[in-house]
Amino acid sequence: MKTVSNNQVWRVWLVVLGTCLVGGRSFATPANRAALEKHYGRFLTPSLARCTTCHLPSAQKFPESLDEFPHNSFGDRLRKLGEELAAAGKKKDLQTRLALVAQEDADGDGVPNETELLLGHNPGDAKDTPSRSELAAAATRHTEFAAYLKSYRWQPFDPVVRPPVPGIAPTVAPFAPRNPIDSFLAAEWSARGLKPRPEASKEVLLRRVSIDLIGLNPTPAEQRAFLDDPSPDAYERLVDRLLDDPRHGERWARHWMDVWRYSDWAGWADGGQVRDSKPHIWRWRDWIVESLNANKPYDRLVTEMLAADELAPEDPDALRATGFLVRNYKMLSREQWLEDTVKHTSQAFLGLTVGCAKCHDHVVDPISQREYYALRAVFEPHNVRTDRLPGQLDTVKDGLVRAYDATNTPTFVLVRGDERHPLTNAIIPPGVPAALGGKLDVKEVTLPWLAASPDAREFVIHDTISASEAALTAARAALTREHTKTNSTPAQRDEARLSLDLTEKKHAALLAVVEADRSVHPPKQNEDRTPAATNAVRLQRAVAVAEARLKQYQAQTALATAATNTVVSAKQKLMAADQQLADAEKILTKPLDAAFTPRPAESFPATSSGRRLALAKWLVRPENPLTARVAVNHIWLRHFGRGLVPTAADFGRNGRPPTHPQLLDWLAAELMKPGDGVLGLGSGVSGISAPLSQDARSQTPDPKPWNLKHLHRLIVTSAAYRMASTPDAADLAIDPDNDFLWRMNSRRLEAEAVRDNLLYAAGALDLERGGPDIDQKLALSSFRRSIYLRHAAEKQAEFLQIFDGPSVTECYERRPSVMPQQALALGNSELAARQARALATKLTAESGGNDIRFIELAFQRILARGPTEAERQSCAEFFTPAAVSTELANKAFARAAQNLILVLFNHNDFVTVR
Amino acid sequence: MNPPQPHSSGCPGVTRRAFLADTGMGFTGLALGAMLFRDGARADTPAWQPPTGAPHFAPRAKAVIWIFLCGGVSHVESFDVKPELTKYAGKSIAETPYAGVLATEGKDVIGANPAHGNRKVILPLQTGYRHYGECGLVVGDWFRHVGECADDLAVVRSLWTIHNDHGAQLTWQTGRHPRELEHPTLGAWMAYGLGTLNENLPEYVVLGAPTGDCCGGTFTYGAAYLGPEHGGVRLNTDPKNPLPFIHPADATLTADQQVANLSLLGRLNRLAGIDYPDDANLRARIKSYELAFQMQSSVPETLQLEREPQHIRSLYGLDQDATKSFGEHCLVARRLVERGVRFVQVFHGGGGGGAWDAHSDIKANHTSLAQQVDQPIAGLLKDLKQRGLLDDTLVVFGTEFGRSPGAEGTGRDHHPQAFSAWLAGGGVKGGVQYGRTDELGFHAADNRRYVTDIHATVLRQLGLDSRRLEVPGRKRLEIDHGAVIREILA
Repeated sequence: MKTVSNNQVWRVWLVVLGTCLVGGRSFATPANRAALEKHYGRFLTPSLARCTTCHLPSAQKFPESLDEFPHNSFGDRLRKLGEELAAAGKKKDLQTRLALVAQEDADGDGVPNETELLLGHNPGDAKDTPSRSELAAAATRHTEFAAYLKSYRWQPFDPVVRPPVPGIAPTVAPFAPRNPIDSFLAAEWSARGLKPRPEASKEVLLRRVSIDLIGLNPTPAEQRAFLDDPSPDAYERLVDRLLDDPRHGERWARHWMDVWRYSDWAGWADGGQVRDSKPHIWRWRDWIVESLNANKPYDRLVTEMLAADELAPEDPDALRATGFLVRNYKMLSREQWLEDTVKHTSQAFLGLTVGCAKCHDHVVDPISQREYYALRAVFEPHNVRTDRLPGQLDTVKDGLVRAYDATNTPTFVLVRGDERHPLTNAIIPPGVPAALGGKLDVKEVTLPWLAASPDAREFVIHDTISASEAALTAARAALTREHTKTNSTPAQRDEARLSLDLTEKKHAALLAVVEADRSVHPPKQNEDRTPAATNAVRLQRAVAVAEARLKQYQAQTALATAATNTVVSAKQKLMAADQQLADAEKILTKPLDAAFTPRPAESFPATSSGRRLALAKWLVRPENPLTARVAVNHIWLRHFGRGLVPTAADFGRNGRPPTHPQLLDWLAAELMKPGDGVLGLGSGVSGISAPLSQDARSQTPDPKPWNLKHLHRLIVTSAAYRMASTPDAADLAIDPDNDFLWRMNSRRLEAEAVRDNLLYAAGALDLERGGPDIDQKLALSSFRRSIYLRHAAEKQAEFLQIFDGPSVTECYERRPSVMPQQALALGNSELAARQARALATKLTAESGGNDIRFIELAFQRILARGPTEAERQSCAEFFTPAAVSTELANKAFARAAQNLILVLFNHNDFVTVR
Repeated sequence: MNPPQPHSSGCPGVTRRAFLADTGMGFTGLALGAMLFRDGARADTPAWQPPTGAPHFAPRAKAVIWIFLCGGVSHVESFDVKPELTKYAGKSIAETPYAGVLATEGKDVIGANPAHGNRKVILPLQTGYRHYGECGLVVGDWFRHVGECADDLAVVRSLWTIHNDHGAQLTWQTGRHPRELEHPTLGAWMAYGLGTLNENLPEYVVLGAPTGDCCGGTFTYGAAYLGPEHGGVRLNTDPKNPLPFIHPADATLTADQQVANLSLLGRLNRLAGIDYPDDANLRARIKSYELAFQMQSSVPETLQLEREPQHIRSLYGLDQDATKSFGEHCLVARRLVERGVRFVQVFHGGGGGGAWDAHSDIKANHTSLAQQVDQPIAGLLKDLKQRGLLDDTLVVFGTEFGRSPGAEGTGRDHHPQAFSAWLAGGGVKGGVQYGRTDELGFHAADNRRYVTDIHATVLRQLGLDSRRLEVPGRKRLEIDHGAVIREILA
């Protein structure tokens, strides 16, 4: 098998080289060509980004080896130089060699190699020479290229290397950097002549960071406390408090649920048609909330979501994490299920559109179709199941839905992605795209016995016995009832007695089976299991007899009362019952053996392929170029309103390059290994000219790797994050989109935050955490946070969707809109009306009916700030219509109060974070 | 006749004026913008002013109905029929007399995707075709009803685009590659340049399910840097649920109070916006409240399709299951245009890559989808014509790219190198065929046209010069402006 595939690879290479040389485009880029493209970047014309830059066409019509594509003079020189360098024990990578031969002239046409390359001419072809007019532009081109070589290169497929923190240029002084984030941003400001905005007011800052970290407005008391706190570290302490607040987990869980595609189940419960995702998947949501609150490291989050069943097979808390996989369940198509799993796992963690390679090699990114199927092979064995939870034997009602490896189905390449056309001659082993480096280290996992036989867990046994005891109690009560009832017939009493007898025997048999099971499992050696087993057999035989007796008695009763047209069938039933009893009694006479019927229990494979665990480990190894970069970008996006890479779900060549590649790389390094850089801020290397503020120096790095809260803290305590979002005319002219973050972006609240804050302002929000999904139809009447509302295909709260709530299929980034429908939702919905009335009543009491006081309180509650003088006046006029009587005045006040609250719920500032 | 308006006061004209006076509605955007310019924010371009809403030259059309079929309609079997495909079915292109069509010299085509394009073994036509009208336009049988309108159509057969996947859906709306994310759509330029013709409905309305997130999503009807107030507003066409939350849940909230609330809200929003004079979202939000208030009555009225006589309902196919849904979209589009909506963007087959993406069994795919849209679109053209509305309403029929002459099994692949669209009404010549593809429909051969040439032509008919709409600091490329296809103008 191995030789075959090697041959295939070999042949593919020849084809690739062949297409290169005849001028076609190829997609599996040979390494040297990739290195050429990487070195020259955008300075390489398409005509030179080809094999022909170094090779000549083959003389053979059907070339059979690479040697048949000879080098031209340029390629030959590079090859020889490589040999020389190797012999001298020096670095011989292509980029080094390209730099060394830049000023040479391989083809002897009088123009140096690099000049030819930069002007779009082949340095190995003497006939292909720049014209005189072209040469006139060479100097400029060289200068630009030199600047390009010196600039920071965005290499998303190379491992992260922490860049040095730049110094602060005097042009942006007196801006004081608080941490390295500011230094990186300042470097871009000074390069572009941008002036950073000053720090936002405390009011604005408090609301911004509160919404950002816990999703809720600061309360009036919190506003007072912060505004009145003059200490220099008041903001830092506020940030600490918010990060420790359990509502932080809920806020950021919703963000990650976008990226990880949370969905409740869809389909029809009564028809037993669970089509997408699975019931009880809310436990995954709770796991996300709890994990974020506990600051579980990001690498651990990824690993548990992909492979908790292999990593911690007996930890029900961790197993919830595999909801990430369960979410892709598709009743109607295993094909679609696996396709979604591959596509979205890659997109969420790697920011790569690997899904494109299902039908053909990726058009722009280095992912071959074969590699797509290697990734699919990682997931091929997995399936989903629902394990029992303590206290509930019925998994329809509740259970732990989780992933596990169920099969060893082989993976094949599907021709054009069509499941009807698998290439069955080669089984594709699990693997990862070569361009990202590293390998999958797959080790089969032997599961603990209880993970494979979950019904053997003590609580299941306990719950089963409890259920049996309950049945016993019920049967006894039934018999007592028959005896105490005045109109009870002897037949009813007899039947109840027989029923009780059966239940008692069943219970006894169950206890014996449990005992016998224990002696069998987990398999032990040198233990005589016969006594328990034979006892179980004896009691199970007794159950069979009792069951038959009851049935016989019921059949006799039925015959006695049968109508003429049912007599025949009643007789037949009695005969069958007689026979059943005779059989059961006959078995009693046989000698006892040990072959008892075990408790009905599901059992699953005792091993797991280990593929998903291997994938998780590959993803979170520090050399993986994308995992940390993509995670950091998602976090940045949600703090600043836009990612450093604007296409958060595509870090490939169809995406857009980052505005601040150094900063993104630095943050990625900081996420993986906190601390290296924060203290390094004052180092001589970076040449800091502005003094570090006190609070920056006092920040002690948290040494825990992949530390999300550390990253949040770093970002929100930066000076950049604290800037005002007000415009500056000069900056706007230079950078109208604020690409270079000379100000904070104003943002609209996400749908969930609009609803949550509406309830919260009115004091109605129920802060209970966790639990089953709430029917989305209750969105307007439930007081729970929006994260707990059911969200699935055809089950989405309309109010949330109007505010651009997440799409169920994918939502790597929210795209907030401004639509008239939003005005209607906030102006007309029962949610807004009811909360306006409630808050108006509450604040009327608090203000003692004083309109000015009422206005103050309403602004604080809803907009988290006091009114300006002009605002106060405008609102006061709202209360003025004079009243004839006190009663009418009170009514008018109540109406005006309620309307004012409604107006403030609709205020642009309510849905906007400044 | 206006229907009863349960939530407006007895004297809508008066409350409306009061409302405008209180909030500065209708010109708030300009007022806020002007504050910024007074402050010298755009000192580098002192002469620049936002558009006044007046056309740059005499318009030929007032409104546009922009029909977009998602997924890629086969050009070779619809409006650019290629009988040679049937003749050479099963042969590779190289074996036909037209082997030369593959040459890309001088053609600005995107890099081919070896797996996703350039299929070379010819698939025969999967439907019949016939000649229509005095102009003798050849149309594939999937579009027989539209064929009957041949003498009103100007078919452009020489289009090409820049993306070989469904991101081209976004390209059709903005002219840009999806990698470049959000740019103003044609509808947004129109709304920005001309403003509104009515006070009760958005100037830019979106019907049907738009493109999936893969392929532009909300960007396909967005306004990007022009500000969200110029973006498309999606409407349902279900008269039972015209707009969510259309009536106040609080029955005690009177219309007068609603107006007073809106007036206070407008004032407060302006006050709070003083520090953020460049905030396009704030401008859009202020406008959205004005519109929402009006739409509470105008939208249900617009959607009262049962008021249309039976023969009109039948004309659009409302009485048949296959055509009902798209027929409703088309009929609502006409009613919106009648009520002063400038730009109605009607999507068909949206979501994911798009329904028309017939990689396999194109015969079944296109037969079924064309059945859904053919009669409604023809009904729309005929209805507009009989009402005299076609004179100043420009109807455009488009898709993101064509489908390959070569076979992909029983289907056809993406084909960005050539595709067709047509325009009708609004001062466009009828019975015209512009541009030509080669005999196999592989490349646009004569008069090659990029998608923004269609944009330029539409803007021209509306009296707009896209160069005069440029916003300082927002560089537009030459290709964004496109070139008017003068040959098809009456």
